[in-house]
Amino acid sequence: MASTAAARTVSGAGKVVKPIFSRDLDEAKRRVRELYRAWYREVPNAVSLYQLDITARQGRDKVREMFNKNKHVTDPRVIDMLVIKGKMELQETIHVWKQKTHIMRYFHETETPRPTDFLSKFYNGHDP
Amino acid sequence: MAGLIKKTTGLVGLAVAQNPHDRLRILYSKILACLQTMPQDAAYRKYTEQLVNDRFSHVKSEPDVGKLEQKINCGQIEEVIAQAEYELALSRKMAEWKPWEPLVEEPPANQWKWPI
Amino acid sequence: MAASLVRLVRGGLGRSFSVANRSAAFLQQARSETTTTETRPTVRPKDAVTHNQLSAFGEYVAEILPKYVQQVQVTCYNELEVMIHPDGVIPVLTFLRDHTNAQFRNMIDLTAVDIPTRQNRFEIVYNLLSLRYNSRIRVKTYTDELTPVDSAVPVHQAANWYEREVWDMFGVFFANHPDLRRILTDYGFEGHPFRKDFPLSGYVEVRYDDEVKRVVAEPVELAQEFRKFDLNSPWEAFPAYREPKEAPKLEAGDKPPASK
Repeated sequence: MASTAAARTVSGAGKVVKPIFSRDLDEAKRRVRELYRAWYREVPNAVSLYQLDITARQGRDKVREMFNKNKHVTDPRVIDMLVIKGKMELQETIHVWKQKTHIMRYFHETETPRPTDFLSKFYNGHDP
Repeated sequence: MAGLIKKTTGLVGLAVAQNPHDRLRILYSKILACLQTMPQDAAYRKYTEQLVNDRFSHVKSEPDVGKLEQKINCGQIEEVIAQAEYELALSRKMAEWKPWEPLVEEPPANQWKWPI
Repeated sequence: MAASLVRLVRGGLGRSFSVANRSAAFLQQARSETTTTETRPTVRPKDAVTHNQLSAFGEYVAEILPKYVQQVQVTCYNELEVMIHPDGVIPVLTFLRDHTNAQFRNMIDLTAVDIPTRQNRFEIVYNLLSLRYNSRIRVKTYTDELTPVDSAVPVHQAANWYEREVWDMFGVFFANHPDLRRILTDYGFEGHPFRKDFPLSGYVEVRYDDEVKRVVAEPVELAQEFRKFDLNSPWEAFPAYREPKEAPKLEAGDKPPASK
Protein backbone atom coordinates (compact mmCIF):
# COMPACT_ATOMS: atom_id res chain seq x y z
CA MET A 1 0.00 0.00 0.00
CA ALA A 2 2.63 2.49 1.06
CA SER A 3 4.89 1.59 -1.85
CA THR A 4 2.14 2.24 -4.40
CA ALA A 5 1.39 5.58 -2.85
CA ALA A 6 5.07 6.46 -3.02
CA ALA A 7 5.23 5.43 -6.67
CA ARG A 8 2.23 7.56 -7.44
CA THR A 9 3.79 10.65 -5.93
CA VAL A 10 7.14 10.01 -7.62
CA SER A 11 6.00 9.53 -11.18
CA GLY A 12 3.24 12.14 -10.88
CA ALA A 13 1.68 12.93 -14.20
CA GLY A 14 3.23 10.14 -16.26
CA LYS A 15 2.16 6.52 -16.48
CA VAL A 16 1.99 5.12 -12.98
CA VAL A 17 3.62 1.73 -12.66
CA LYS A 18 3.50 -0.41 -9.57
CA PRO A 19 6.99 -1.68 -8.77
CA ILE A 20 7.43 -5.38 -8.01
CA PHE A 21 10.22 -5.00 -5.48
CA SER A 22 12.80 -2.49 -6.69
CA ARG A 23 12.13 1.21 -6.84
CA ASP A 24 15.02 1.95 -9.21
CA LEU A 25 17.68 0.28 -11.34
CA ASP A 26 20.36 0.24 -8.62
CA GLU A 27 18.14 -1.69 -6.26
CA ALA A 28 17.29 -4.16 -9.02
CA LYS A 29 20.99 -4.61 -9.78
CA ARG A 30 21.68 -5.28 -6.13
CA ARG A 31 19.12 -8.05 -6.16
CA VAL A 32 20.72 -9.54 -9.28
CA ARG A 33 24.13 -9.54 -7.58
CA GLU A 34 22.65 -11.25 -4.52
CA LEU A 35 21.13 -13.94 -6.70
CA TYR A 36 24.39 -14.38 -8.60
CA ARG A 37 26.31 -14.86 -5.36
CA ALA A 38 23.80 -17.41 -4.13
CA TRP A 39 24.07 -19.37 -7.35
CA TYR A 40 27.87 -19.10 -7.30
CA ARG A 41 28.00 -20.61 -3.82
CA GLU A 42 25.46 -23.28 -4.65
CA VAL A 43 27.26 -24.65 -7.73
CA PRO A 44 29.86 -26.94 -6.03
CA ASN A 45 27.15 -28.13 -3.68
CA ALA A 46 24.86 -29.02 -6.56
CA VAL A 47 27.63 -30.76 -8.48
CA SER A 48 28.29 -33.12 -5.58
CA LEU A 49 24.61 -33.54 -4.64
CA TYR A 50 23.44 -34.45 -8.11
CA GLN A 51 26.67 -36.34 -8.94
CA LEU A 52 27.10 -34.33 -12.12
CA ASP A 53 29.91 -35.14 -14.54
CA ILE A 54 31.09 -31.56 -14.65
CA THR A 55 33.49 -29.48 -12.64
CA ALA A 56 32.42 -26.59 -10.46
CA ARG A 57 34.26 -24.34 -12.88
CA GLN A 58 32.05 -25.45 -15.76
CA GLY A 59 28.96 -24.95 -13.64
CA ARG A 60 29.95 -21.44 -12.69
CA ASP A 61 30.70 -20.59 -16.30
CA LYS A 62 27.21 -21.76 -17.15
CA VAL A 63 25.69 -19.60 -14.42
CA ARG A 64 27.63 -16.64 -15.71
CA GLU A 65 26.46 -17.34 -19.24
CA MET A 66 22.83 -17.53 -18.11
CA PHE A 67 23.10 -14.19 -16.36
CA ASN A 68 24.87 -12.63 -19.33
CA LYS A 69 22.08 -13.73 -21.61
CA ASN A 70 19.83 -11.10 -20.00
CA LYS A 71 22.36 -8.34 -19.51
CA HIS A 72 20.65 -6.06 -22.03
CA VAL A 73 17.54 -5.74 -19.80
CA THR A 74 17.25 -2.32 -18.16
CA ASP A 75 13.64 -2.15 -16.93
CA PRO A 76 13.74 -2.73 -13.15
CA ARG A 77 10.41 -4.56 -13.23
CA VAL A 78 11.62 -7.01 -15.88
CA ILE A 79 14.83 -7.52 -13.90
CA ASP A 80 12.77 -8.20 -10.78
CA MET A 81 10.68 -10.75 -12.63
CA LEU A 82 13.80 -12.52 -13.90
CA VAL A 83 15.28 -12.49 -10.40
CA ILE A 84 12.08 -14.02 -9.01
CA LYS A 85 12.24 -16.82 -11.57
CA GLY A 86 15.94 -17.31 -10.89
CA LYS A 87 15.26 -17.56 -7.18
CA MET A 88 12.63 -20.21 -7.75
CA GLU A 89 15.07 -22.19 -9.89
CA LEU A 90 17.67 -21.90 -7.16
CA GLN A 91 15.18 -23.11 -4.57
CA GLU A 92 14.32 -26.09 -6.73
CA THR A 93 18.02 -26.88 -7.10
CA ILE A 94 18.87 -26.53 -3.42
CA HIS A 95 16.00 -28.73 -2.23
CA VAL A 96 16.77 -31.37 -4.89
CA TRP A 97 13.27 -31.13 -6.29
CA LYS A 98 14.98 -31.20 -9.66
CA GLN A 99 16.74 -34.26 -10.96
CA LYS A 100 19.94 -34.68 -12.86
CA THR A 101 18.17 -34.33 -16.18
CA HIS A 102 16.77 -30.92 -15.26
CA ILE A 103 20.17 -29.60 -14.27
CA MET A 104 21.90 -31.00 -17.31
CA ARG A 105 19.27 -29.43 -19.57
CA TYR A 106 21.13 -26.13 -19.18
CA PHE A 107 24.09 -27.60 -21.03
CA HIS A 108 22.31 -28.70 -24.23
CA GLU A 109 24.68 -31.66 -24.68
CA THR A 110 22.71 -33.71 -27.15
CA GLU A 111 21.53 -30.93 -29.40
CA THR A 112 23.13 -30.53 -32.79
CA PRO A 113 23.54 -26.89 -33.70
CA ARG A 114 21.14 -25.79 -36.37
CA PRO A 115 22.63 -25.05 -39.81
CA THR A 116 23.08 -21.41 -40.62
CA ASP A 117 24.45 -21.05 -44.15
CA PHE A 118 22.72 -22.17 -47.30
CA LEU A 119 24.90 -25.16 -48.15
CA SER A 120 24.68 -26.84 -44.76
CA LYS A 121 20.93 -26.27 -44.76
CA PHE A 122 20.86 -27.94 -48.14
CA TYR A 123 22.86 -30.92 -46.89
CA ASN A 124 20.64 -31.18 -43.87
CA GLY A 125 17.70 -31.95 -46.12
CA HIS A 126 14.07 -31.19 -45.58
CA ASP A 127 13.42 -28.70 -42.86
CA PRO A 128 10.15 -26.82 -42.80
CA MET B 1 -32.33 -21.32 28.66
CA ALA B 2 -35.54 -22.21 30.52
CA GLY B 3 -34.13 -25.16 32.38
CA LEU B 4 -33.06 -26.79 29.13
CA ILE B 5 -29.30 -26.73 28.73
CA LYS B 6 -27.97 -26.74 25.20
CA LYS B 7 -25.19 -29.30 24.77
CA THR B 8 -23.90 -28.61 21.27
CA THR B 9 -24.40 -26.32 18.32
CA GLY B 10 -23.96 -29.22 15.90
CA LEU B 11 -21.22 -27.24 14.12
CA VAL B 12 -17.58 -28.24 14.28
CA GLY B 13 -15.41 -25.76 16.17
CA LEU B 14 -18.31 -23.69 17.47
CA ALA B 15 -18.83 -24.12 21.20
CA VAL B 16 -22.07 -23.35 23.01
CA ALA B 17 -22.05 -19.77 24.28
CA GLN B 18 -22.52 -19.46 28.04
CA ASN B 19 -23.67 -15.85 28.17
CA PRO B 20 -24.76 -14.89 24.68
CA HIS B 21 -26.52 -11.68 25.74
CA ASP B 22 -23.48 -10.25 27.51
CA ARG B 23 -21.18 -11.25 24.70
CA LEU B 24 -23.41 -9.72 22.03
CA ARG B 25 -23.87 -6.55 24.08
CA ILE B 26 -20.10 -6.08 24.35
CA LEU B 27 -19.49 -6.83 20.67
CA TYR B 28 -22.26 -4.60 19.37
CA SER B 29 -21.24 -1.64 21.49
CA LYS B 30 -17.65 -2.09 20.30
CA ILE B 31 -18.78 -2.14 16.66
CA LEU B 32 -20.87 1.00 17.17
CA ALA B 33 -17.94 2.75 18.84
CA CYS B 34 -15.71 1.83 15.91
CA LEU B 35 -18.31 3.09 13.44
CA GLN B 36 -18.36 6.45 15.24
CA THR B 37 -14.88 7.18 13.87
CA MET B 38 -16.10 7.03 10.26
CA PRO B 39 -17.63 9.98 8.42
CA GLN B 40 -21.36 10.46 8.87
CA ASP B 41 -22.30 9.86 5.23
CA ALA B 42 -20.23 6.73 4.65
CA ALA B 43 -22.50 4.02 3.27
CA TYR B 44 -20.76 1.32 5.25
CA ARG B 45 -21.40 3.17 8.50
CA LYS B 46 -25.01 3.85 7.60
CA TYR B 47 -25.93 0.28 6.72
CA THR B 48 -23.92 -1.38 9.46
CA GLU B 49 -25.31 0.93 12.13
CA GLN B 50 -28.80 0.15 10.94
CA LEU B 51 -28.13 -3.59 11.04
CA VAL B 52 -26.35 -3.59 14.39
CA ASN B 53 -28.92 -1.34 16.05
CA ASP B 54 -31.66 -3.62 14.83
CA ARG B 55 -30.03 -6.69 16.33
CA PHE B 56 -28.96 -4.81 19.45
CA SER B 57 -32.56 -3.82 20.19
CA HIS B 58 -33.62 -7.45 19.85
CA VAL B 59 -30.86 -8.48 22.26
CA LYS B 60 -31.94 -5.84 24.75
CA SER B 61 -35.64 -6.65 24.62
CA GLU B 62 -35.62 -10.45 24.40
CA PRO B 63 -34.19 -12.43 27.33
CA ASP B 64 -35.05 -15.87 25.91
CA VAL B 65 -32.34 -17.26 23.64
CA GLY B 66 -34.64 -19.35 21.44
CA LYS B 67 -36.97 -16.46 20.70
CA LEU B 68 -34.01 -14.15 20.14
CA GLU B 69 -32.64 -16.53 17.51
CA GLN B 70 -36.00 -16.48 15.77
CA LYS B 71 -36.19 -12.69 15.89
CA ILE B 72 -32.70 -12.15 14.51
CA ASN B 73 -33.28 -14.99 12.02
CA CYS B 74 -29.64 -15.55 11.07
CA GLY B 75 -28.85 -18.98 12.50
CA GLN B 76 -28.07 -20.05 16.05
CA ILE B 77 -26.99 -17.50 18.62
CA GLU B 78 -23.41 -18.78 18.46
CA GLU B 79 -23.35 -18.06 14.75
CA VAL B 80 -24.73 -14.59 15.38
CA ILE B 81 -21.89 -14.03 17.86
CA ALA B 82 -19.36 -15.20 15.26
CA GLN B 83 -20.89 -12.81 12.72
CA ALA B 84 -20.60 -9.95 15.18
CA GLU B 85 -16.94 -10.83 15.79
CA TYR B 86 -16.20 -10.79 12.06
CA GLU B 87 -18.07 -7.52 11.66
CA LEU B 88 -16.03 -5.94 14.45
CA ALA B 89 -12.75 -7.04 12.84
CA LEU B 90 -14.01 -5.77 9.49
CA SER B 91 -15.11 -2.38 10.82
CA ARG B 92 -11.64 -1.82 12.31
CA LYS B 93 -10.03 -2.64 8.96
CA MET B 94 -12.55 -0.49 7.11
CA ALA B 95 -11.65 2.52 9.23
CA GLU B 96 -8.09 2.05 7.97
CA TRP B 97 -8.93 1.41 4.30
CA LYS B 98 -11.48 4.25 3.97
CA PRO B 99 -13.44 2.67 1.11
CA TRP B 100 -15.94 5.55 0.99
CA GLU B 101 -13.42 7.70 -0.87
CA PRO B 102 -13.86 8.25 -4.63
CA LEU B 103 -12.62 5.66 -7.11
CA VAL B 104 -8.83 5.25 -7.08
CA GLU B 105 -8.52 4.90 -10.84
CA GLU B 106 -10.86 4.56 -13.77
CA PRO B 107 -10.44 1.33 -15.75
CA PRO B 108 -8.67 1.64 -19.09
CA ALA B 109 -10.99 1.98 -22.05
CA ASN B 110 -12.57 -1.31 -23.14
CA GLN B 111 -11.21 -3.15 -20.10
CA TRP B 112 -14.59 -4.60 -19.23
CA LYS B 113 -15.98 -4.78 -22.77
CA TRP B 114 -17.03 -8.30 -23.67
CA PRO B 115 -17.01 -9.74 -26.28
CA ILE B 116 -13.88 -7.86 -27.26
CA MET C 1 -35.16 -25.99 -14.74
CA ALA C 2 -38.13 -25.43 -16.99
CA ALA C 3 -35.93 -25.68 -20.08
CA SER C 4 -34.61 -29.09 -19.06
CA LEU C 5 -38.14 -30.23 -18.25
CA VAL C 6 -39.29 -29.33 -21.72
CA ARG C 7 -36.41 -31.25 -23.23
CA LEU C 8 -37.26 -34.32 -21.15
CA VAL C 9 -40.87 -34.25 -22.26
CA ARG C 10 -39.86 -34.04 -25.89
CA GLY C 11 -37.39 -36.91 -25.62
CA GLY C 12 -40.03 -39.16 -24.07
CA LEU C 13 -42.47 -38.34 -26.80
CA GLY C 14 -39.98 -39.11 -29.51
CA ARG C 15 -39.35 -42.55 -28.07
CA SER C 16 -43.02 -43.45 -27.80
CA PHE C 17 -43.49 -42.06 -31.27
CA SER C 18 -41.04 -44.52 -32.83
CA VAL C 19 -42.38 -47.52 -30.91
CA ALA C 20 -46.06 -47.05 -31.60
CA ASN C 21 -46.01 -45.44 -34.98
CA ARG C 22 -48.67 -47.81 -36.33
CA SER C 23 -51.43 -46.41 -34.17
CA ALA C 24 -52.71 -43.47 -36.11
CA ALA C 25 -54.77 -42.07 -33.29
CA PHE C 26 -51.82 -42.06 -30.93
CA LEU C 27 -49.72 -40.49 -33.61
CA GLN C 28 -52.23 -37.76 -34.05
CA GLN C 29 -52.30 -37.17 -30.31
CA ALA C 30 -48.53 -37.19 -30.08
CA ARG C 31 -48.26 -34.73 -32.91
CA SER C 32 -50.73 -32.39 -31.33
CA GLU C 33 -48.78 -32.64 -28.05
CA THR C 34 -45.49 -31.91 -29.72
CA THR C 35 -46.93 -28.87 -31.36
CA THR C 36 -48.14 -27.63 -28.01
CA THR C 37 -44.74 -28.13 -26.40
CA GLU C 38 -42.91 -26.73 -29.42
CA THR C 39 -44.53 -23.37 -28.95
CA ARG C 40 -42.42 -22.75 -25.87
CA PRO C 41 -38.81 -22.03 -26.74
CA THR C 42 -36.18 -24.23 -25.09
CA VAL C 43 -34.36 -21.39 -23.45
CA ARG C 44 -33.80 -20.70 -19.82
CA PRO C 45 -36.71 -18.72 -18.43
CA LYS C 46 -36.03 -15.33 -16.95
CA ASP C 47 -35.91 -15.26 -13.20
CA ALA C 48 -36.75 -11.67 -12.45
CA VAL C 49 -36.81 -12.07 -8.67
CA THR C 50 -33.27 -13.43 -8.42
CA HIS C 51 -32.10 -10.91 -10.97
CA ASN C 52 -33.48 -8.01 -8.95
CA GLN C 53 -32.08 -9.36 -5.70
CA LEU C 54 -28.63 -9.76 -7.21
CA SER C 55 -28.60 -6.33 -8.80
CA ALA C 56 -29.77 -4.80 -5.53
CA PHE C 57 -26.93 -6.52 -3.69
CA GLY C 58 -24.49 -5.40 -6.39
CA GLU C 59 -25.57 -1.81 -5.90
CA TYR C 60 -25.20 -2.25 -2.15
CA VAL C 61 -21.59 -3.40 -2.58
CA ALA C 62 -20.84 -0.60 -5.02
CA GLU C 63 -22.31 1.99 -2.66
CA ILE C 64 -20.24 0.80 0.29
CA LEU C 65 -16.97 0.43 -1.63
CA PRO C 66 -16.97 3.24 -4.18
CA LYS C 67 -13.19 3.49 -3.86
CA TYR C 68 -12.57 0.14 -5.55
CA VAL C 69 -15.66 -1.00 -7.44
CA GLN C 70 -15.58 0.11 -11.06
CA GLN C 71 -18.58 -1.71 -12.42
CA VAL C 72 -21.28 -4.14 -11.33
CA GLN C 73 -23.30 -6.34 -13.63
CA VAL C 74 -25.65 -9.29 -13.52
CA THR C 75 -25.27 -11.65 -16.44
CA CYS C 76 -28.16 -13.23 -18.29
CA TYR C 77 -27.68 -16.41 -16.25
CA ASN C 78 -28.10 -14.51 -12.98
CA GLU C 79 -24.46 -14.33 -12.00
CA LEU C 80 -23.42 -11.23 -10.11
CA GLU C 81 -20.09 -9.80 -11.26
CA VAL C 82 -18.19 -7.04 -9.50
CA MET C 83 -15.34 -5.42 -11.40
CA ILE C 84 -12.76 -3.87 -9.10
CA HIS C 85 -9.47 -2.02 -9.26
CA PRO C 86 -6.45 -4.28 -8.55
CA ASP C 87 -5.58 -2.23 -5.42
CA GLY C 88 -8.85 -3.31 -3.86
CA VAL C 89 -8.46 -7.08 -3.92
CA ILE C 90 -7.86 -7.47 -0.18
CA PRO C 91 -10.46 -4.89 1.00
CA VAL C 92 -13.22 -6.14 -1.29
CA LEU C 93 -12.63 -9.82 -0.54
CA THR C 94 -12.41 -9.12 3.20
CA PHE C 95 -15.58 -7.06 3.09
CA LEU C 96 -17.44 -9.79 1.24
CA ARG C 97 -16.15 -12.38 3.69
CA ASP C 98 -16.81 -10.55 6.96
CA HIS C 99 -19.81 -8.32 6.37
CA THR C 100 -22.95 -9.72 7.99
CA ASN C 101 -25.05 -9.12 4.89
CA ALA C 102 -22.55 -10.83 2.58
CA GLN C 103 -20.71 -13.67 4.34
CA PHE C 104 -18.99 -15.01 1.23
CA ARG C 105 -16.75 -17.20 3.34
CA ASN C 106 -15.78 -19.80 0.73
CA MET C 107 -13.48 -19.23 -2.18
CA ILE C 108 -14.65 -21.60 -4.88
CA ASP C 109 -12.22 -20.71 -7.63
CA LEU C 110 -9.56 -18.26 -8.64
CA THR C 111 -8.39 -18.11 -12.21
CA ALA C 112 -7.22 -15.79 -14.93
CA VAL C 113 -8.18 -14.96 -18.50
CA ASP C 114 -5.69 -13.81 -21.12
CA ILE C 115 -6.88 -11.23 -23.63
CA PRO C 116 -3.75 -10.00 -25.42
CA THR C 117 -5.38 -7.09 -27.24
CA ARG C 118 -6.08 -5.22 -24.01
CA GLN C 119 -3.77 -2.83 -22.26
CA ASN C 120 -4.02 -4.97 -19.09
CA ARG C 121 -4.06 -8.35 -20.72
CA PHE C 122 -4.93 -10.55 -17.73
CA GLU C 123 -8.26 -10.68 -15.97
CA ILE C 124 -8.11 -12.28 -12.53
CA VAL C 125 -11.41 -13.86 -11.54
CA TYR C 126 -12.45 -14.78 -7.99
CA ASN C 127 -15.54 -16.96 -7.50
CA LEU C 128 -17.00 -16.82 -4.01
CA LEU C 129 -19.81 -18.68 -2.29
CA SER C 130 -21.93 -17.63 0.66
CA LEU C 131 -23.33 -20.67 2.43
CA ARG C 132 -25.45 -18.53 4.73
CA TYR C 133 -27.41 -16.86 1.92
CA ASN C 134 -26.91 -19.63 -0.69
CA SER C 135 -25.48 -17.15 -3.10
CA ARG C 136 -22.49 -16.76 -5.36
CA ILE C 137 -20.54 -13.75 -6.53
CA ARG C 138 -17.75 -13.21 -9.01
CA VAL C 139 -15.10 -10.57 -8.44
CA LYS C 140 -12.94 -9.56 -11.38
CA THR C 141 -9.84 -7.46 -11.56
CA TYR C 142 -7.08 -6.89 -14.10
CA THR C 143 -3.33 -6.77 -14.40
CA ASP C 144 -0.55 -7.11 -16.96
CA GLU C 145 2.61 -9.23 -17.15
CA LEU C 146 4.68 -7.04 -14.84
CA THR C 147 2.19 -5.57 -12.37
CA PRO C 148 1.95 -7.55 -9.14
CA VAL C 149 -1.47 -8.28 -7.65
CA ASP C 150 -1.97 -8.52 -3.90
CA SER C 151 -2.27 -12.13 -2.86
CA ALA C 152 -5.64 -13.23 -1.48
CA VAL C 153 -4.11 -15.83 0.84
CA PRO C 154 -4.47 -13.69 4.01
CA VAL C 155 -8.22 -13.57 3.30
CA HIS C 156 -8.87 -17.03 1.88
CA GLN C 157 -6.49 -19.91 2.56
CA ALA C 158 -7.90 -21.67 -0.49
CA ALA C 159 -6.30 -19.09 -2.74
CA ASN C 160 -2.82 -20.48 -2.09
CA TRP C 161 -2.69 -23.18 -4.73
CA TYR C 162 -4.96 -21.30 -7.14
CA GLU C 163 -2.54 -18.41 -7.16
CA ARG C 164 0.36 -20.77 -7.70
CA GLU C 165 -1.54 -22.17 -10.64
CA VAL C 166 -2.21 -18.74 -12.10
CA TRP C 167 1.46 -17.83 -11.62
CA ASP C 168 2.53 -21.03 -13.35
CA MET C 169 0.10 -20.89 -16.23
CA PHE C 170 -0.10 -17.14 -16.88
CA GLY C 171 2.91 -15.60 -15.16
CA VAL C 172 0.96 -13.17 -12.98
CA PHE C 173 3.00 -12.31 -9.91
CA PHE C 174 1.16 -12.26 -6.57
CA ALA C 175 2.76 -10.01 -3.97
CA ASN C 176 3.01 -11.35 -0.40
CA HIS C 177 2.16 -14.89 -1.37
CA PRO C 178 3.61 -17.26 1.28
CA ASP C 179 4.90 -19.91 -1.11
CA LEU C 180 4.81 -18.86 -4.74
CA ARG C 181 6.39 -21.49 -7.00
CA ARG C 182 5.47 -23.73 -9.89
CA ILE C 183 2.69 -26.25 -9.36
CA LEU C 184 1.81 -27.88 -12.69
CA THR C 185 4.78 -27.59 -15.04
CA ASP C 186 8.01 -29.56 -14.86
CA TYR C 187 11.09 -28.15 -13.18
CA GLY C 188 13.11 -26.22 -15.69
CA PHE C 189 10.08 -25.53 -17.86
CA GLU C 190 10.20 -22.12 -19.45
CA GLY C 191 7.23 -20.01 -20.39
CA HIS C 192 3.63 -19.84 -19.26
CA PRO C 193 1.46 -22.28 -21.20
CA PHE C 194 -1.93 -20.58 -20.87
CA ARG C 195 -0.81 -17.35 -22.42
CA LYS C 196 -2.29 -16.86 -25.83
CA ASP C 197 1.15 -16.30 -27.36
CA PHE C 198 2.48 -19.67 -26.14
CA PRO C 199 2.72 -21.97 -29.18
CA LEU C 200 0.49 -25.02 -29.24
CA SER C 201 3.46 -27.34 -29.73
CA GLY C 202 5.52 -25.81 -26.93
CA TYR C 203 9.19 -24.93 -27.18
CA VAL C 204 10.90 -28.21 -26.22
CA GLU C 205 10.26 -31.90 -26.66
CA VAL C 206 11.66 -34.58 -24.34
CA ARG C 207 13.03 -38.01 -25.13
CA TYR C 208 15.25 -40.60 -23.49
CA ASP C 209 18.78 -40.51 -24.81
CA ASP C 210 20.69 -43.75 -24.60
CA GLU C 211 24.11 -42.14 -24.89
CA VAL C 212 23.87 -39.85 -21.89
CA LYS C 213 21.48 -42.23 -20.06
CA ARG C 214 18.92 -39.65 -19.12
CA VAL C 215 15.94 -37.77 -20.44
CA VAL C 216 16.91 -34.84 -22.60
CA ALA C 217 14.91 -31.85 -23.80
CA GLU C 218 15.44 -30.47 -27.27
CA PRO C 219 13.81 -27.74 -29.29
CA VAL C 220 10.71 -28.90 -31.08
CA GLU C 221 11.19 -29.97 -34.66
CA LEU C 222 7.98 -30.58 -36.50
CA ALA C 223 8.26 -33.20 -39.22
CA GLN C 224 5.44 -31.49 -41.05
CA GLU C 225 4.83 -27.85 -41.54
CA PHE C 226 2.34 -26.43 -39.11
CA ARG C 227 -1.02 -26.53 -40.80
CA LYS C 228 -3.59 -23.92 -40.24
CA PHE C 229 -7.06 -25.34 -40.16
CA ASP C 230 -10.08 -23.23 -40.81
CA LEU C 231 -11.94 -23.87 -37.60
CA ASN C 232 -14.67 -21.33 -38.15
CA SER C 233 -17.90 -23.02 -37.32
CA PRO C 234 -20.61 -22.86 -39.94
CA TRP C 235 -22.96 -22.01 -37.08
CA GLU C 236 -23.03 -18.61 -35.59
CA ALA C 237 -21.86 -18.69 -31.99
CA PHE C 238 -22.94 -15.18 -31.02
CA PRO C 239 -25.75 -14.13 -33.30
CA ALA C 240 -26.60 -11.27 -30.98
CA TYR C 241 -23.16 -9.74 -31.49
CA ARG C 242 -23.10 -10.02 -35.25
CA GLU C 243 -21.04 -7.40 -37.01
CA PRO C 244 -22.90 -6.02 -40.01
CA LYS C 245 -21.19 -7.22 -43.15
CA GLU C 246 -20.09 -4.69 -45.65
CA ALA C 247 -22.42 -5.36 -48.49
CA PRO C 248 -21.77 -3.58 -51.77
CA LYS C 249 -24.42 -0.96 -52.04
CA LEU C 250 -25.98 0.04 -55.23
CA GLU C 251 -25.89 3.67 -55.95
CA ALA C 252 -29.10 5.22 -56.92
CA GLY C 253 -28.50 5.44 -60.64
CA ASP C 254 -30.44 6.89 -63.44
CA LYS C 255 -33.98 5.98 -63.95
CA PRO C 256 -34.48 2.67 -65.68
CA PRO C 257 -35.29 3.11 -69.30
CA ALA C 258 -38.98 3.15 -69.81
CA SER C 259 -40.29 -0.21 -70.85
CA LYS C 260 -41.58 -0.40 -74.27
